[in-house]
Amino acid sequence: MDIRAEESLQLKQTRNEDTKKEEFSKFKFYMKRARQYFTSSSRIKQLIIKLFMYVFLIGLAFVFVYPFIYMIVTSLKSNSDLSNFAVEWIPTELKFENYSVAMTLINYMRYFKNSVLVTVFATLGHVLSCSFIGYGFARFNFPLKKILFFVVILAFIVPIQTMIIPMYLTYVNLGWRNTYLPLIVPCFFGFGLKGGLYVFLFRQFYLTLPRDLENAARIDGCGFLSTYTRIVFPLGQSTMVVATVLSVVWHWNDSYEPGMYIDKAALGFLPPRISYIVSIINSPPEDMFEQMAALGLSDGEDTLNDAVIMASAALICAPVIIFFAFAQRLFMEGIERSGITGE
Amino acid sequence: MEKQLKSKKRLRLTLRQRDQFKGLFFVSPYIIGMIAFFIYPVCTSFVLSFSDIASIVGFDLKFVGIEHYKYAFIVDNNFVPMFLDVVGNTVLKFPLTIVFALIIAILLNKKIVCRGMFRVIFFIPFLLGAGVVMQQLRIQGVDRAVLSIMDGKIIPYNILNYFGADIVNAVQTVFGIIVQVLWDSGVQILLFLSGLQSISPALYEAAKIDGATEWEIFWKITIPMISPMMLLNLVYTLVTTFVDIDNQMLSYISTYGFGNLEFGYGAALGWIYFAFVGVLIALVFAIMKGYMHTNEVEEVKKRGHKSRRILTIETNKKRRY
Repeated sequence: MDIRAEESLQLKQTRNEDTKKEEFSKFKFYMKRARQYFTSSSRIKQLIIKLFMYVFLIGLAFVFVYPFIYMIVTSLKSNSDLSNFAVEWIPTELKFENYSVAMTLINYMRYFKNSVLVTVFATLGHVLSCSFIGYGFARFNFPLKKILFFVVILAFIVPIQTMIIPMYLTYVNLGWRNTYLPLIVPCFFGFGLKGGLYVFLFRQFYLTLPRDLENAARIDGCGFLSTYTRIVFPLGQSTMVVATVLSVVWHWNDSYEPGMYIDKAALGFLPPRISYIVSIINSPPEDMFEQMAALGLSDGEDTLNDAVIMASAALICAPVIIFFAFAQRLFMEGIERSGITGE
Repeated sequence: MEKQLKSKKRLRLTLRQRDQFKGLFFVSPYIIGMIAFFIYPVCTSFVLSFSDIASIVGFDLKFVGIEHYKYAFIVDNNFVPMFLDVVGNTVLKFPLTIVFALIIAILLNKKIVCRGMFRVIFFIPFLLGAGVVMQQLRIQGVDRAVLSIMDGKIIPYNILNYFGADIVNAVQTVFGIIVQVLWDSGVQILLFLSGLQSISPALYEAAKIDGATEWEIFWKITIPMISPMMLLNLVYTLVTTFVDIDNQMLSYISTYGFGNLEFGYGAALGWIYFAFVGVLIALVFAIMKGYMHTNEVEEVKKRGHKSRRILTIETNKKRRY
């Protein structure tokens, strides 16, 4: 028994040693691999490049988010925080009253309604008309096509400021002053705010669309108009999203043309209200108190300061940002898919 | 009877004529709009710039020749410096915008973590506004505060003191301009991104197999392939910088047109302004025309020969003429 036990013990030991050796060699092998992995110049280079890229990207992202964060943070600051340089990012107390003050000052609900009305109709006009016109440019040959397309580009290039005076006089003669018609009607004809760009976008999209679908529809007895409404128009979804987002953002933020055609305060839009607040702040104290009292607000620096301006700015942007949050995924897909490249 | 006649008449149209009819039908809204909202105002504005308004009611015009243009350049003290200021600003900002937008678009097009999030982030300044909101932010000095070196956070005070206030101020201004440029480049980034997306990965793979470095791939494939987008972007950037809300020139024109009720002079200023934009854009077109990537086969068809200056990628060697 003894001998056997000794033998088995020896065997075990050798085995153990073997496995140990094996393990050690494995470990060595992996170490070697790891060393190779980390020391080979291309890996390190790639790693460094990647690191550098991310640092750069995050830095840039910071620059891009900065105005947004600044706006939100400042809008929640109290008056003492505003003048305190130590308080930069985190206010000592969150002052949500700034928002309610801004709400009453800019009379939010009324102007919100106006802005939404014009933005919705103008965007609708742009999408419907530009898709229609773009299809015509992309698919058919007709006389003066090149000249017309040149006009599309030209209409985009010529700044509205160059022809604002005759436009204004025309609208006055038509009796469209102080109505929303001058802002909405041109959109239904492929003009209006940056209309040429949308025509261009839709044309580029329809150029890439294969003709087979339309031909199939035609064989099935579909007329050209219903081919457009039933087949071509729904297919342009991705471009439609892109055009909608761009149009909504531009119309919402536009203040030049509305300022020209509309001078009745009740018909105004949200963005110019910010300058109204600024004008109250800059007005002499007595006037300021009077206006504040008229709105039922207590006067003084505690209620009216830079924080309120930022709060109103945030309120003005909010609808667009919420809209974009919903449309974001479709929009990015649309950008990728629409293939706006002029081929 | 009538119906039959009509159908007969329609049958008589050739395919080409029918095509023309359909095309005109689809474009007809644009033609109407063009006459009402473009040609008429442009022509009137042009005439207006050469005349004085005697009375607004009947649109009574009195022809004065190039009086307004002369006045703008010779008599008006404010116009020329302001004009040069705007021109200088544009010339400075416009290449920067394109370069930054291209760099960011290329980074965003790579396989990176949180790609979707980054894309949204780079679009935020565009949402905040080409409008009044951003103007307010600028008034509060946000664009200078982003990359601020004055407060000694990035670079210590000792070094700042060594350089002196002038240089630090200048660097700060440059940073401010860069930040503004970045904020204004949301749409350009998107346009470049969509251009980059449309390049087929096969081209890159082929180039890599042939042993091209990243640098070569960038210049020989990426740039030529996005050249149409580059053109669109250049034009877009020029146009938007010129109609920017911060532009003093535009408010000057409006004050003349509406504040002082000198419509004629306002129109003339507008036209001088547009003439400059037009010249710049024509220049861009002329330069870019030679460097546009086009399909080589089409190129040969169009011109009868291959242009030497065109950076084409010879994708299909068999079909080469």
